Amino acid sequence: MQKQVRAWLEDGKVDVFLAYKMDCGHPLPHAFTRERIDETEDLVTGPARYSLEKFATQIAARHPEKKIGLLARDCTQRALNVLAVWNQLPAEQVEPLPVNCCPSALKPHADCTYLEAPATGEVKIQCGQDPRQSIEAVDAQEGPERFARWMYEFQKCIKCYGCRNICPVCFCKDCSLEHPDLIGTGNLPPDIPIFHLVRAVHMAGRCIDCGLCEDACPAEIPLRLLYGKVNAIVKDLFDYDTGASDALSPFSILGDKPTLTPAPLLAVSQE
Amino acid sequence: MAGLAAAFGSGAMTNSYDDLETAGCFFVIGSNTTACHPLIARRIYRAKERGAKLIVADPRGIQLSSMADLAVNHRLGSDVALLNGMMHCILRNGWEARDYIDSRTEGFAELEAAVADYPPERVQAITGVAVRDIEAMADLYANHGPSALLYAMGITQHTTGVDNVKSCCNLALLCGYVGAAGGGVNPLRGQNNVQGACDMGGLPNVFTGYQPVTVPENVEKFSQAWGRPLSDKPGLTITDMVGAMLDGRLRALYVIGENPKLSDPDWNHLHHALKKLDLLIVQDLFLSETAQIADVILPAAAVAEKDGTFTSSERRCARIHKAVEPVGQALSDWEIISRLSTAMGYPMEYAGPSDIFDEMASLTPKSYAGMSYERLGLDGLQWPCPDSDHPGTPILHTQSCARGLGKFHAIAYQDPAEMPDQEYPYFLTTGRMFAHYHTGTMTRISPHLDAEQRRGYVSIHPADASKLDIADGDLLVLASRRGEMEAPARVNANVQPGCLFMPIHFGENPANVLTNAEAYDPLAKIPEFKVSAVRVAKAPEARP
Amino acid sequence: MTLKFVPSICSYCGTGCGVLFQVMDGQLVGTLPMKTHPVNQGKLCIKGWNLHEHITSELRLKHPLLNTFGRMTKVGWDDAIGFAADRLKTIVAEHGPDSVGVLVSAKITNEENYLAQKFARAAVGTNNVDHCARL
Ligand code: SF4
Ligand code: SF4
Ligand code: SF4
Ligand code: SF4
Ligand code: SF4
Repeated sequence: MQKQVRAWLEDGKVDVFLAYKMDCGHPLPHAFTRERIDETEDLVTGPARYSLEKFATQIAARHPEKKIGLLARDCTQRALNVLAVWNQLPAEQVEPLPVNCCPSALKPHADCTYLEAPATGEVKIQCGQDPRQSIEAVDAQEGPERFARWMYEFQKCIKCYGCRNICPVCFCKDCSLEHPDLIGTGNLPPDIPIFHLVRAVHMAGRCIDCGLCEDACPAEIPLRLLYGKVNAIVKDLFDYDTGASDALSPFSILGDKPTLTPAPLLAVSQE
Repeated sequence: MAGLAAAFGSGAMTNSYDDLETAGCFFVIGSNTTACHPLIARRIYRAKERGAKLIVADPRGIQLSSMADLAVNHRLGSDVALLNGMMHCILRNGWEARDYIDSRTEGFAELEAAVADYPPERVQAITGVAVRDIEAMADLYANHGPSALLYAMGITQHTTGVDNVKSCCNLALLCGYVGAAGGGVNPLRGQNNVQGACDMGGLPNVFTGYQPVTVPENVEKFSQAWGRPLSDKPGLTITDMVGAMLDGRLRALYVIGENPKLSDPDWNHLHHALKKLDLLIVQDLFLSETAQIADVILPAAAVAEKDGTFTSSERRCARIHKAVEPVGQALSDWEIISRLSTAMGYPMEYAGPSDIFDEMASLTPKSYAGMSYERLGLDGLQWPCPDSDHPGTPILHTQSCARGLGKFHAIAYQDPAEMPDQEYPYFLTTGRMFAHYHTGTMTRISPHLDAEQRRGYVSIHPADASKLDIADGDLLVLASRRGEMEAPARVNANVQPGCLFMPIHFGENPANVLTNAEAYDPLAKIPEFKVSAVRVAKAPEARP
Repeated sequence: MTLKFVPSICSYCGTGCGVLFQVMDGQLVGTLPMKTHPVNQGKLCIKGWNLHEHITSELRLKHPLLNTFGRMTKVGWDDAIGFAADRLKTIVAEHGPDSVGVLVSAKITNEENYLAQKFARAAVGTNNVDHCARL
């Protein structure tokens, strides 16, 4: 891995390579460059995970001429597809170096997060949504119960905007979550469930299920499950697998009648 | 601080965040945790979802209340009565930790006698909390232990602040939770390095590590180390300084990184005092309200522009690293202080913060002596860390308290200094909101934080609003015995009827025009920020 | 093109969350939660996420200023320090060291707090040191 990155930098395949480097026992994101090529000897691939693709997008916005290499887990690869579809990061500007991550025969456990996945508390199983559930299990809940369970989760929100800030595919200049006419300001919890549903709608055809948002949520709201549901609907309606390829999103060419109906939302939240 | 030190011998959070998650029950009083310490609230969420109980006592409805097993709104300033009532119930039911009380505490008989006067019926009359709820609180706290008690400025910013804290300590000692994992008495610090400022001797009566200036050996040690004879006479607290400025005893003030004009409880009073100074030096990031009236203004470097350490609420001393050069000609505070000192004829020459840290650690044997930049790494260390092999201390007082035995204090309830009356019929309390910090100098210029709340406001209960014909957004005039100010109304049911709330961050609606500087805790000198009596009406222009 | 991530501590509240300052081309462009920090475990609140904004604000003080009869004048460091030191020395000489007070801060580092109280106690000679956090 280190050798590969070194070679890429040396022969100019990439100008910068995004990976991790240990600092006092903490893996921190690091941009490796030709100028300090010896640092590649300290390159590590994890275990912590930052949004490297987001950093790549930020570099590309400033330096369209630079070639950017990065460690790419499966979800990173999906994010790169979506970022290319939405014209945020041209595919030819990035050079992903695959790392094995999602479950496989060799590696049965997903190491999405550096933390031991804690057992879900019994109270959360009683009142909230267990993040380990399948989407089908959530669908199987009675409407009012499902709504109450989601509202239990949402009312813990401390409006940190971390879910949006960390998300590789949240790149809008003016974010609807900060639009005072849409979502009231200055309150905790924020207007619920609107705050969370606005974001959920935006993730249709966009969220690549990397889990960074859930990982960054101080309130431990099972956001991945919520956006997973939204994208299951997208799959149902449009047969579109978000991030699986660079095929255009069903929402990227909205006609005069937007195809995004409120129906999917209602199915998730209120009956 | 003073209260904690009197009870246990050390004025800091007894437990740490990781350890909080092991609590069987949380008792959160006077802390709007999700807004002011969100990442500590997260620990409460996690423990709660695992099955821990949660009791919330706050004069306002707060976000945590909606998750609580029991949430009560006690009347402003009635904390001591509420806590005494809980202890009364615990003793009446025999839920106290007898063995612990016998072996590790003193003063129990006095406490028992004092709380005997607080049967729940009487406490209900004082606090407005139902007898049934007081009993239930006592039950949850005593019988689902270990219970962690968390408090913030809602407990300390009162004339009875020290009494409030001592009462919290009494409760925790009574159930044997001090020194226990998942228990303890945990003050949450409002500003990032309050703990550090106190640890470093930023107090008139102690050197670093709380070594009193009145102990001759300490004065001797520091005089030697610093090469100057030092004074053994305790200095003035900030509250006394204001008085000394007014009568001319204090002529010059050097203010570093603070904006007392907005954080002091009485704006008019302080404004006069500062105006009387011969010399006011302010060193800050911004031209704050205080800097605007200074004679000399020194631009300081911000957090990403310098190296150093901060000490958090859980006594964790951790490193900050320089990421960028300071803006303009700004310099790190340590460089400015060194230059000024050298110009005053007392040379300070340090190669960098690491040298200063080592000098400090060598003079602070019990708490910081074992720390160095190298050992701190990125995780930091929790004091006490007395020698270089010591791993740091996540939980204080595990074997015995720092002062030996934990001390009970018999505390009687006292009304706040100012109660509503005919002329000023409303209670006013102050606090923070989630997107802003302290006097707002740092947060209000931050576009994303400013967007959350641009202006000050006054929260008023819908019942009071309709009585006074006030609608959401109307401009109100508030008046107290000290001054008058305007702010727009925000009608919401989180405040109790008869009670108003204002955030403290907004200089153009300075809440401290109204609050009470004359009234402060006699020991801790923390002013009564949380309770004052006001009257309120729609602003005249707003009338049709 | 340069990009680096510098570990630090959030300076807003007393919780002490670990952050990474994101510096691109020498400019501070963002704040991220440090994923493996024992305090915040990869999460931040709204203040932490926007920590860099106050640092890069246009409103930062960039030069020492002297205020003469309500007019602010930009001066160099030597002038500002010289002026402050002379005035302080005069006041100490005329009214004694206890006529000077120093307010330290919960926003500056431990090292700086240590120096500030050392300044008051050794350079000026007074124990009039306090911080606003009791307020
Ligand atoms: S989603 Fe998780 S397990 Fe899958 S590739 Fe990404 S980090 Fe790895
Ligand atoms: S899982 Fe979360 S962070 Fe990842 S793409 Fe989806 S919404 Fe964004
Ligand atoms: S939440 Fe929606 S508006 Fe905001 S950045 Fe993400 S996609 Fe854009
Ligand atoms: S990360 Fe969680 S707490 Fe923060 S805004 Fe998103 S949902 Fe709310
Ligand atoms: S991120 Fe939020 S909770 Fe953490 S230290 Fe900063 S202000 Fe406090």
